[in-house]
Formats: sequence, structure tokens, C-alpha cells
Amino acid sequence: MTKRIRRVIVGLDPVRQSRALLDAAAELAGRMQAELLGLFVENQDLLHFAGLPFAREVGFESATRRALDVESMERMLRALAREARQALESAAEGTRVQWSFRVVRGAPAAELLAAAEESDLVIANLETAPESPARASVRIVHAGDVEALRAALEEEGACILLLAGADPRLVGETLRKAAGRER
Amino acid sequence: MDMSNSNPAMPRPLAAADLCRRCDPGQFKFKTTDDLEDLRQVLGQARAVNAIEFGVGMGRDGYNMFAMGPEGLGRRTIVRRYLESQAPGREAPTDWCYVYNFDTPHRPRAIALPAGRAPRFRDDMARLVEDLRAGIPAAFESTEYRAKQKEIETELGERQDQAVSAIGERAKSQGIALVRTPAGFGFAPRHGESVMNPDEYRRLPEAEQQRLENAISTLQEELESAIHDMPKWRREAQRKLRELNRQVTRTVVNGLIEEVRAEFQALPAVLEYLKSMQEDVLDHVEIFRQPKDSEPPTLFGVPLPVSEIGESFLRRYQVNVLIEHGGTKGAPIVYEDHPTHDNLVGRIEHISQMGALVTDFTLIKAGSLHRANGGYLIVDAMKVLTQPLSWEALKRALRSREIRIESLGQMLSLISTVSLEPEPIPLDVKVAVVGPRLLYYLLHAYDPEFGELFKVAVDFEEDIGRAPESDLLYARMIATAAHQEKLRPLDRAAVARVIEHGSRYAGDAEKLSVQMRDLNDLLRESDYWAGAASRKVIQAEDVQRALDARVERADRVRDRLHEEILRGRLLIDTTGSRAGQINGLSVAQLGGFSFGIPHRITARVRLGAGKVVDIEREVELGGAIHSKGVLILSGFLSGRYAANKPLSLAASLVFEQSYGGVEGDSASSAELSALLSALADAPLKQSLAVTGSVNQHGAVQAIGGVNEKIEGFFDICRSRGLTGEQGVLIPVANVKNLMLRRDVVEAAAAGRFHIYPVENVDQGIEILTGVPAGERGATGQFPPGTINFRVEQRLTELADRTRAFGAAPPAKRQRRLPRRP
Repeated sequence: MTKRIRRVIVGLDPVRQSRALLDAAAELAGRMQAELLGLFVENQDLLHFAGLPFAREVGFESATRRALDVESMERMLRALAREARQALESAAEGTRVQWSFRVVRGAPAAELLAAAEESDLVIANLETAPESPARASVRIVHAGDVEALRAALEEEGACILLLAGADPRLVGETLRKAAGRER
Repeated sequence: MDMSNSNPAMPRPLAAADLCRRCDPGQFKFKTTDDLEDLRQVLGQARAVNAIEFGVGMGRDGYNMFAMGPEGLGRRTIVRRYLESQAPGREAPTDWCYVYNFDTPHRPRAIALPAGRAPRFRDDMARLVEDLRAGIPAAFESTEYRAKQKEIETELGERQDQAVSAIGERAKSQGIALVRTPAGFGFAPRHGESVMNPDEYRRLPEAEQQRLENAISTLQEELESAIHDMPKWRREAQRKLRELNRQVTRTVVNGLIEEVRAEFQALPAVLEYLKSMQEDVLDHVEIFRQPKDSEPPTLFGVPLPVSEIGESFLRRYQVNVLIEHGGTKGAPIVYEDHPTHDNLVGRIEHISQMGALVTDFTLIKAGSLHRANGGYLIVDAMKVLTQPLSWEALKRALRSREIRIESLGQMLSLISTVSLEPEPIPLDVKVAVVGPRLLYYLLHAYDPEFGELFKVAVDFEEDIGRAPESDLLYARMIATAAHQEKLRPLDRAAVARVIEHGSRYAGDAEKLSVQMRDLNDLLRESDYWAGAASRKVIQAEDVQRALDARVERADRVRDRLHEEILRGRLLIDTTGSRAGQINGLSVAQLGGFSFGIPHRITARVRLGAGKVVDIEREVELGGAIHSKGVLILSGFLSGRYAANKPLSLAASLVFEQSYGGVEGDSASSAELSALLSALADAPLKQSLAVTGSVNQHGAVQAIGGVNEKIEGFFDICRSRGLTGEQGVLIPVANVKNLMLRRDVVEAAAAGRFHIYPVENVDQGIEILTGVPAGERGATGQFPPGTINFRVEQRLTELADRTRAFGAAPPAKRQRRLPRRP
């Protein structure tokens, strides 16, 4: 790759946690000798939902209804953030990269897009591209699209937002393939 | 002596030739033992060898052997050598292995394979498992499998998605969002693409709020019922997946197992095992799919010392080769040196897993019965009997004809942990137990099973008859031992000296000892001394040196006792004469070294009630046989001298300065002589010592240890200076046992020491007192002046005195009687 990547941000989602994504990010950061930042987004929607007077959650495994409130949702998010941090730590340990972890609150798409503007590469655990307009320098690349990723990497001053899509495993593959031509 | 010349009945001292039966080296034709051929047969053990032949040849149950005899005869060697000659003619026994029992895991199955095939089976199975571990994951990697698996997964996923997203769509149409929470789903009013802020919601008109709430409630119910069916769908998908896995695996497993099956086509037990194994592999396919190098399990961050689940699970497909005879030619011969229960019947080991003891069939270990199965087992009787439960286990195995491995801990309920009951293995073994005769007779008497299981007694002899032809055989035996031990050869004189020692060891001039251990020791020690003297051939003086050195190493106690006698602390006279005092002889045995010691025996007589008091017995220092000897004396006295009148004698006999026990009747002729001397008041020559037991008629009978006794007295006399008067009286019957030391023989030849063979007590008392004993004449009276006359006279006198006392007023005596305690 021609472009020097100094920082890799990986989006951590309370709902769609993926170890494969973390591993891919850690691997890339290791290869690039870049810093790895885990960005845990506390989904604003979840807090809004929990704040509603009739908020009920239907368990996926148990198929039963449970009442929710903001406090318990926050507690749950904190626990999940802790879990995500541990997962990041263990992924980073494997590649010996420098890492840090941050928690933000908001809409995941918007937060990741914002992060992309300040960074070289953001790996986002999103299925679809954010609708809100991005700054001109942000290149949105779907996992699997190796050509687009290569093009974005070639481009000077571009910030890349890599979307994981439905299958997070694809991210690692795409990154490796894109790097492959360089070697 | 003058005395003996004057009386024709008097025994003459023995000629030097009678004191030790020499072995003439001139009779041998060989120069050294190197010229001699090895002796193939076992010398003097014809009875034992025939018994072994019979025991080995007899194929029926219970014909096990008990080789009995004292230590050092070479019983084990002889048994073993015979077995070694027979074993190669027999077929090598089958191999045995234990395998997992897929139906009842705690009962491992035993499989027999032809000799040498078990390791192949084990290796084939190990390779099969390796192949399966490579082949099964490969099959799962195949495009075909992945496509099918994807299909099943996608089907499930789509079904679930459809159910949820249908509800999501319905919600969307009502302005409601389906929210994915960490643990499930929820519904909330929408605001654009995101969830409505609660504040915003509260600002909505009440009717709208009500509508949303009702709609959400309905949607929740719908979602619940949709999710409710999901586990069923998932199970369905899993079943499909399992079936697919099985299908994929079956092809791989079948192909791989087929190779092993072809190899062991002729063995139904193996084929049956392979069939069960195949099913088991198909049932546990997921184990084979696990990658080999996953992270080890930890407890608080500490890695646990257990193999990963897959590894430990795969142990069940191992083959535990218990016993294999690949390199064995013929039947095995096993000598079990340490016959503990576990060493005999095998054991089940345990390994520690997270602090608990666990075991499986791979930890079953063979015992010596397994190793000897199909051949021969030799054990030491004493060892097997002193090991807890070993004897019982050995008998149980022989009786049931199978080896059943039972853990001692479990048998005694000492430990309670995962246990196994391995399938018993059929037993076909011939056992030879080697032990002392006493054990054989005790077992025969007290163990009812013994006679049934050990029907063949192999009784070893301790000695053989000595004849010129046996001398040569013995020489060949010496040569054989020297060859086997890689010793220097012995020259003729050395062989003759060893043969003489063989006779002395047997304690009989007409016998030769076949104690192989002693013989081998003597040869090795002679070889050492020959080496010390830088000789290439062992000579007679090396043998003598070995014998002398042996005595020197062992005779500290004898030296001290002799010293005590010479210093006058132990009172023994070797000159002069005295009435009622005589030198008796005893033998002490300390650590395999025997030596003779003279003892002063004294007798006192007085008026009494016809009782000879044995002081040793009164103080419980005398044994039963000694007491018997003393009681016989009363019988002799009353029979010969007081047949018609009361024996009104009270005599006491004592071994002076004897503080240990006295046992045996070999001093009874000495005691009788002392008694007669005391009665006749005839002094006894202290230059003589006496040994021999006596019967009620006064005949002197054979005793043991005659050589040591003579030498014991000789040593004392020699130390004080031989006077030419000194000597020992021995029973005539013991002349055959004489194998005396060279110095004793030389002194006797020079007339400085005399050995008198004595037939009866009259001969003895004549030699001891120099006074004729006397025989009853035609009138029934002893000639006046003779010992017997004087004894009879004294006894008559005592009887008369008693009568005189008895004439005293009886009332007085009767009055006193009741007062006695």
C-alpha cells in the first residue's frame, strides 16, 4: 500500500459484536505498525427505546417479554463495553499492537463517519452505508470490494470507512487481498 | 594305653586313616579341570529331576511344582535350566491387548492376537485415528459439504429472518421501529430512521400514544409467537446438519477402517471391535473436527495439566498392548523376584486429573502371570507368602484358569475412585514354587487348596553317596562350576581338597554335599586366593587358604570362648582326674559357622527317693530332649543296679558355667559316666572328653556335629600342650562321620591325641577311670573292685539306709506329712 496508515479505528457495537472484525483490525494494525482504537458506540436508539414507558424486550432465545428501563439499559451497555474492551485487548495481544478504547454515545453510523473524518481507516460493523452526507475526503468501501479499497488506499488524503456488511469475516479477507498486490 | 592292652573288650584309639577319608588325587587322570567335560546332568538330584520332567510334561490342571529343599542347592537353577531346555519346543503364546468397550466402558475388552501381531494392531489403530483426524476435517472442508451446510444454515436463517422481518415490515407501516437489543428485539415509535425520543413521545396526543401502545402490544405478541417456533426450527436444522455430518464422515471412516479390516480379516474379535469403533466415530464426529492446536484450558489464568478434550477423548481408540511375544522364541519363562499382588496379576494405574484420580483401559499393566501365560512362572515360596494377598491371588488365578485384574485398593475398599473391571484373560501356565521343605509340609497340612494346585513335589537331596566313580562326577561338577563362573582351572590336588570339603560339609565321610552355593563360594574364594598368589591354576593350598580364611572371618566368638577357657575363667581341666566331673562337648552354630566347645559336667549323689535331678531342667535352661536324656539315666541305673530294691538315690547333674540353654541328648553318656564315677567314687580322667547319647541299656548312640566337637576339645588341649593322654570318646556309629581337620589327624597319627570309638557305657567308663567296668559273673555278682561292683554296693548301701530311716517311728512322719505345703 502506498498510503501510510497510522491509526485504525474499529467500530464496536453492543448488538453486533464480532471477534472476526476485531481480529482483522488487529491484524491490519499489526501489519501497518499502526495504532488500534476500539470505538464502542452506545446506540442512542437503544437508550431512547428503553426510556419509553412501555418498553418491552422480547428475548431472542427465551421468547418472553421483559420490561426495560434506561438504568438497566445503561448498565447493560456498560457491561457490553467492558466485554468489548476485553475482546479488543485479547485481539491486540495476539499482534502486539498499541491499542486504546473509547466509548461514545450516539447513532453508530454517524459516530463512525465522524471518526472516519479524523482517521485513516475505520472498520465499521454496519450493513448499509450511513445516509447522512459525508465529507468529500471520506471514501466508503463495502467489504468484498477489493478494487475500491485499493483505489481508496492509493488516493492521497482520503479517509476510508470500510463497511463490514452482513458477514464480518469478509473484512479480513478484503484487507488481506488489498494488501496482497503490494507484496 | 596299658589299660586297653590288658582288656580285649577295650576299644583301641582309631587309626589316623579312619579320622578323615582322604580323596586321592592320583585316582584322577586329568591335569586340571580344563581337561574335563562339562557335566550335563544334575548330580545326585535324580528324584528331583524326574519330578520336574513329570511336572512339566503333565499337561493337566493342578500339576504345578513345588521345588523344596534347603537354600543353596540350586533348586531354582535346576528348575530353570530344565524349563529352558523344554521351552523352545513349544509355540510362542498369543499377544494380548485391552481395548475400549463401547457398550460398557468400565469393562475393557481383552483381545488375543497371534504372537507379535499386537503392536501392529496398536500402530494401525493409532494411524487410523491420525488419518481420521486429518480425513474428517478435510471432508468437512469439501465444497460439496460446505454448500450443503450453507444451504441448511441459510434455510434456517431465512426462515428466522422472514418471520422477524415480516413483523418488522408490519411495524414500519404503522410508524413503529423494530429495535435490535443486545438480547432480543423491541418495538418503539419511529422518528425518521431512528427511535423516537421519549420526550417527543410524551408530547404526542394521547390518542396517538394509545394507538402506538396498542399496536406495539399486538406486535410484541406476534413476535413472541414467531420466536417461539424458532428453537424447533433450529433443532430441525441441527438434525439435518448431523445427518449430513454422518453422511460425509461415513464415507471417510469406511474407507480408512477398511484397510485395517483387511489386515486383520482372520480375527473376528478385531473385526467386531472395528465395527463398534466405526459407529462410535460416527457418533462423535465433532471431536475429530476440533482443531489440534486450540488454547489450553486455564483455571484463574493457570494452564491446566490436562490434554484437550479431543485428545483425551481419542484415548478410547488406543490399543493397550498388555503383552506381546514378537521376539519370543517358544514358551516364556518368567522368574518373579518380587511377587506382590500387583506384580503377579497386573495392576490398574491411575493418573491425577485436576486433583482427582482417574483411569482408563490404557492404564492396565501386565503382571508376571500375563508374561508367563502360555509358559512357565517361577516364584519363591517365602516371598509370595509374605506379600499380602499374593498367595491367594496366585491360587485364585490357577484355580479359575484366568487372570482377573483387581485393584488391591478397591478390594480392601481403601480407595474409592473411577474403577475398571477388565475382562479376564484365560490363563495357561505352569508354576514352579521354590521353597524350604518346612513350607511345603506346612502348606500341605494347612492349606486345603495347596495339594490340589501343587501336585508335584520336587524334593532335592542335600548330598550324594561317596564312591570312586562319584568322585570323578563330582570333579566334573566342580569343573562345570568353574567354567560357568569363569574361574581359573583347578589342579587334581585342589579338586581332591574340594571333594574332601564336600564330605566334611555333608558331615559324613561316606557322603558328598551337593550344596551348590557353598561349592560355588568355595571355588570363587579359592580363585581369589590363587589370583592373590599370582597363580594361573587353583591349587590345593588355595582351597585350603579359602577354607582357613573363611573360619578366620567367622571365629571371633569361638576364639573368645577358647580364650576364656585358657585363662581359667571357664573351668575345663585337661589333665588330672576327679570323681563326678567330666568334660562334655557341645556344638554352637553362629551365622553358618559351627564350632565345638567343651563343658564341664558334674554329678553329686546322696540318699534320696530315686530321682536324678537335672538342674538345667529345673531352671528351664534345658530343652525337652536334654531332659529326656537325663530321665533315661534313671532308667539305666534302676534297671541295672536296683531291679529288686528301691533306688534310694538323689543325684543332681549340671552343665557348669552354662548360662544359655542346653538342648540335645548328646551329653547323656558323659552325664552317666559322671554319675557312675560319683557313685563308685572313681576319679575320671580330665584329659578326655565324651560325647554320645545313651539308652536305658547303656548302649552309646550316634550324635551330630562329631567333627566340630572333637576339634573343639583338641584346640583347647593343643593350646595347653598335648600330653599324649588326651582324646575324645565318640559313639562307634559316628566313626563314619569323621572328616577331621588335618592337624587333628596328624596329632592322632603321632599318638598325641586319641579318638576312641565307644559302643557302650562300660567301655567308656573303663577308658575314663582306668578301672574295669565288670560284668555279672555266674553268681549274678559283679567282680569286686570293678566300677559296676562299687556302684551296686553304694546303691545297696543307700537302699539299706533308707530302710533304716523307714523303720523310724512312722507316727512322727505321718504327723508331719499334712503340714507340708
